[in-house]
Amino acid sequence: MHLLLVGISHKTAPVELRERLDFQVRGVDRALQTLATRGSTREAVVLSTCNRAELYVACDDLPATRADMVTFLSEFNGVDRSVVAPHLYDVSDLDAARHLFRVAAGLDSLVVGEPQVFGQVKEAHTIAGEAHTAGPVLNRLFHASFAVGKRVRTETGLGSGAVSISYAAVALARKIFGDLGGRSVVVVGAGEMGKLTARHMKSQGVQHVTIVSRTMAHAARTADAIGGAAASPWEDLDSVLGASDIVITATGASAPILTKARIETIMRPRRNRPLFIIDIAVPRDVEPAASEIEQVFLYNIDDLQTTVRENLARRASEVARAEAIVAEELERFGGWLRSRGAIPTVVALRQHCENIRRAELSRLDYKLASVPQARALVDEITHLIIEKLLLTPTERLKSLGDTETVGAYAEALTRLFGLGERADDDTDARAPSSERLDGRVEPFTRIKQRGPR
Amino acid sequence: MNFVPLALYAVALVAYVWHFVNRDAAVGRGATTLLVFAALAHTFVIGMQTVQYGHVPVAGPTSAISTFVWLLALAYLYTEMTTDERAMGVFILPLLVALQLIPALHPGVEPQLPVLQSPLFGVHVSALLLAYASFALACVIGVTYVLLFKEIKAKHLGIFYARLPSLQVLDRMNQQAIVIGWLFLTVGMIVGAVWTPQARAYAPGIPQLQAMSLRDPKIFVALVCWTIYSFELFAARRIGWGGRRAAYLSAVGFAIVLLNFVPISYFVDNSHKF
Repeated sequence: MHLLLVGISHKTAPVELRERLDFQVRGVDRALQTLATRGSTREAVVLSTCNRAELYVACDDLPATRADMVTFLSEFNGVDRSVVAPHLYDVSDLDAARHLFRVAAGLDSLVVGEPQVFGQVKEAHTIAGEAHTAGPVLNRLFHASFAVGKRVRTETGLGSGAVSISYAAVALARKIFGDLGGRSVVVVGAGEMGKLTARHMKSQGVQHVTIVSRTMAHAARTADAIGGAAASPWEDLDSVLGASDIVITATGASAPILTKARIETIMRPRRNRPLFIIDIAVPRDVEPAASEIEQVFLYNIDDLQTTVRENLARRASEVARAEAIVAEELERFGGWLRSRGAIPTVVALRQHCENIRRAELSRLDYKLASVPQARALVDEITHLIIEKLLLTPTERLKSLGDTETVGAYAEALTRLFGLGERADDDTDARAPSSERLDGRVEPFTRIKQRGPR
Repeated sequence: MNFVPLALYAVALVAYVWHFVNRDAAVGRGATTLLVFAALAHTFVIGMQTVQYGHVPVAGPTSAISTFVWLLALAYLYTEMTTDERAMGVFILPLLVALQLIPALHPGVEPQLPVLQSPLFGVHVSALLLAYASFALACVIGVTYVLLFKEIKAKHLGIFYARLPSLQVLDRMNQQAIVIGWLFLTVGMIVGAVWTPQARAYAPGIPQLQAMSLRDPKIFVALVCWTIYSFELFAARRIGWGGRRAAYLSAVGFAIVLLNFVPISYFVDNSHKF
């Protein structure tokens, strides 16, 4: 069985094409069902976000499935094959696993280390689970990718630090005030930037938002747009500032509105309550010297941009550690995948034993025909004996590490039991029963229930 | 016997430093576990000494330091469990290790004069030791406050920004530690003042007791501490001296406590030695 990934992402395709290949439009579950009916895959998971559309499938015939996936992508989304094909990438087996691990870790994202993609990977797997298209291989693969995502999040700083201006402002406010729950925010100026930041603060738990603008009507309109905010007239600015914790200034004024002296007057009755001023106006609304006042924390747009840049740089320096985790988990997953190389041998061995058992049982049939209970008992006991005999060899084969050893063991088993020729003979001779066996003998999942773990 | 807790404190220190540098949650939990074991071992040592000598080892300077280290470890563990903040450990543990070196290098417990068996003496010493442990915590919290304050003011968000709780939380923790410490300090000093005349009457032959007065360096410095912390409490409430000024005051206050505790106890001739 092979792993195959076919897809497009923000790295290979423009947003216009990504929009057209968005599986969420027509439903990921429907895509999975359609995929399953095509018959070229054994298992499938569809990962569809605004930055990527990827098909993870398990299949037997790599080139045929690859071609079929391209056809499926274009047919299902109604996009011409020649349009899609140049933007597609496909990788197989461990390279596909590595790709998924990097995606789950946030290493393949537009903003490295962003956390949403991890949830999207989880959701993709859940949907596939509900649609019954994820089997043992993809389940194992996705669970391994969850482990990667979790480890990268806890063991590296890849996702730490705000990487947008408004996030940086909120993070700073948190470091000064702790919980933002009972805090109040004042936005000076009714512009778009101020509105955006205030809305962000509100979504982060700030309770009171007040808009102050030179024109009261503008202030009221902006307050309405934010929702749950109050508007105050320009003359009340000082008293509003005195009662607030966070101030966002974003007016179009050409000279500073808040001078150092004015803020000093505002600060006096506040005693020691900190005041966090975010000056996102250009030219600046707050005199830079105001930051000399004890308990006044003044950040302008450049300062915030600098912290964002520093955070991005820090994330970049964590990439190597995250990649090391990916490599480690890939090694583990690779071991498991290789051990699955023993499956055909195990299936053949079990089939061989089962055939012998059936042959012997059928020889006994005429003797036991009169006592059906005894027939059932013998059937059960012989079955149990085979299960027990094969348990240890199956477990051992499963725990083998590398491809070469698996090959050597498979070779030895094949020769010792004469598996190759006999199994083939049997399959030909007893097609119906072996078909039944094929369905039943899923060696690892079955043994697992009886194994120690 | 004080070597075992010392070794465990030292190992816990290494774990706390490791946790601080790498921010590895598992290492952090390991560090706390190590500190719990160190405190348990220390409890055992103090318990054994109590059984062996028939009194809690607090009378002499060395045993008082050992008990202080034990109390500080417990107070810190309490703070850590209630706030779920581990970053301060990297500042507390060096203090524990450095102070625990003294009892580890001066084995044994100083003999206790019969006059000190009064319950009032027990209250006096344990209240003061608890006060000092609170002040030590306040000092460390104050230092971290200043470090974080400077990073945010300077717009250079670095090591402490990523690891410490918010300024407001640190300020509140500092205030709480100061209030608790101040209460114990006040109780300890009042009990000491009440008990001295009683002890004088009980044991007239002890020269230190007769000579005890406000001019004694140890008592004088303790009064200075009380004044500083009283001012800090007053200033925080009345004139808005919270934040950085309170943090500096906590650091100065504890520096004086430490001065009183180690150099004055050992090197200055005073009437407070028994």
